[in-house]
Amino acid sequence: MSHAAHANNAHEDLGWNPEDPHGINPHAHHGHIVVGWKLQLSVLLALIFLTVLTVGFYNAEQWAETAFGITLPGWVNIVGAMTIATIKATLVCMYFMQLRYDKALNTFALLFCLFAVGLFLFFSIIDLSTRGWVTEFKQGEIVAGGTGVGLDSPPIDASFNARVSPRITTAGVSIATYRRNQEMQSWLEARPDKEEKDFWKYFYAKAYKPSRHPGDEQNYFSQLGFDRDPDALSTPNRSVPRYGRTDALDPNPSSD
Amino acid sequence: MQTTLDAYDTPAPPHLRDHPKHWRNRRAGHHWRNHDEEFDAAKFGMWLFLTTEVLLFAGIFCGYAVFRFLYPESWTAGSQHLDWWFGGANTIILLISSWTVANAVRCAQLNNQKWLKINLIVTLLCAAAFVIIKLQWEYIPKINEGKAPGTFFSYEFAQTTHEQLWWSLYYMGTGIHALHVLIGGSLLGWVLYRSWKYEAYGPTEYTMVENSALYWHLVDLVWIFLFPLLYLIH
Repeated sequence: MSHAAHANNAHEDLGWNPEDPHGINPHAHHGHIVVGWKLQLSVLLALIFLTVLTVGFYNAEQWAETAFGITLPGWVNIVGAMTIATIKATLVCMYFMQLRYDKALNTFALLFCLFAVGLFLFFSIIDLSTRGWVTEFKQGEIVAGGTGVGLDSPPIDASFNARVSPRITTAGVSIATYRRNQEMQSWLEARPDKEEKDFWKYFYAKAYKPSRHPGDEQNYFSQLGFDRDPDALSTPNRSVPRYGRTDALDPNPSSD
Repeated sequence: MQTTLDAYDTPAPPHLRDHPKHWRNRRAGHHWRNHDEEFDAAKFGMWLFLTTEVLLFAGIFCGYAVFRFLYPESWTAGSQHLDWWFGGANTIILLISSWTVANAVRCAQLNNQKWLKINLIVTLLCAAAFVIIKLQWEYIPKINEGKAPGTFFSYEFAQTTHEQLWWSLYYMGTGIHALHVLIGGSLLGWVLYRSWKYEAYGPTEYTMVENSALYWHLVDLVWIFLFPLLYLIH
């Protein structure tokens, strides 16, 4: 019996055969929906368009900041990107994963899972966002962005034969700070004629290169790499414009 | 709407006509009443598995949210080190591969053996391109600069105190995702091998194509969220 024969039979009885009401016939085949290629291609084009849109939105935001000094609040960036991502995910689920044409049970399984994810995120966030109330109540110390005190691991067992970083104890500072101090020490040792001030000049030129505020691109001092140099800060006799964030690691915060 | 009953009636090549692995010679397991019930159960089982996958990545997304909440300036500084060109290119690559794998399912449903194979090959090429971009322009240069996760962090020019946490999240999120790309690629490679050798998949026998495709779409879905979270939100 060939496949074509089953197909023709199934065509005639439209999925329910009175002679085989419970579908016991192992050859019964009712035909699954095939999503048309034009629809699938349109979905792909929509997905690519939305990707370009979200990247465009990100770049437009940077441009607004550079050209006009308009800084949008942080949630605009997050809500915009996540809304577009959700629309894209819905398209993929409905058309590529064919949930729209499937049994509803599969959609329920996914939605219930997303509900669980929602609970997970919701309770984590309300916990974090209300800790200030407790801290305030207990009159504890609050340090914006945390204290930065990082890792103080116990010594690694000698039989632990993985390649372990020798910097496993960071003497009570964060790993990033520890690594920077280490760099400063070796940098200064290699250059006896330099002092700590020179290291900071070198450090800030390097560290802020990837994240220099776009407004600083127009700044003469920034172009020379001096925008984070304490020597190049504003004084009563000389005003140097500075843009961007005030950073936790600024070695000389009182000079700001 | 078109259904699998409208499939092309191309006959099996002579050497596969009586082969037990050819799709026309496959029957539902004896404990199923028919192919349809077996297919629906297998697909629902795959969806249940996919929900556990979503929960796995939800842990990473929740970690991202928590640490972003605690150390926003480290997250801003961290995302500045990523180049959206590579993330965007990988997004487009995964979207195209998702489309070709959806087309592969369609070709199996319509007994279009030639385009089933072509679509699977394009999908595998996209998977390879994704992994190569990730390694060549993202992981290797970053690790060489010391931008490594947790205690392995040794980048000298960190601006903020918690940048190593950002890199832990980055490598966990994208690393587990890349592992899924490799697993999904292996599944689709197996499908390609079987359809090449036996024409194992057709209108009444495409559960494996469908479920591997669902897995691949999940890989795409996760990246749809990872891309803006890591590269675009600052």
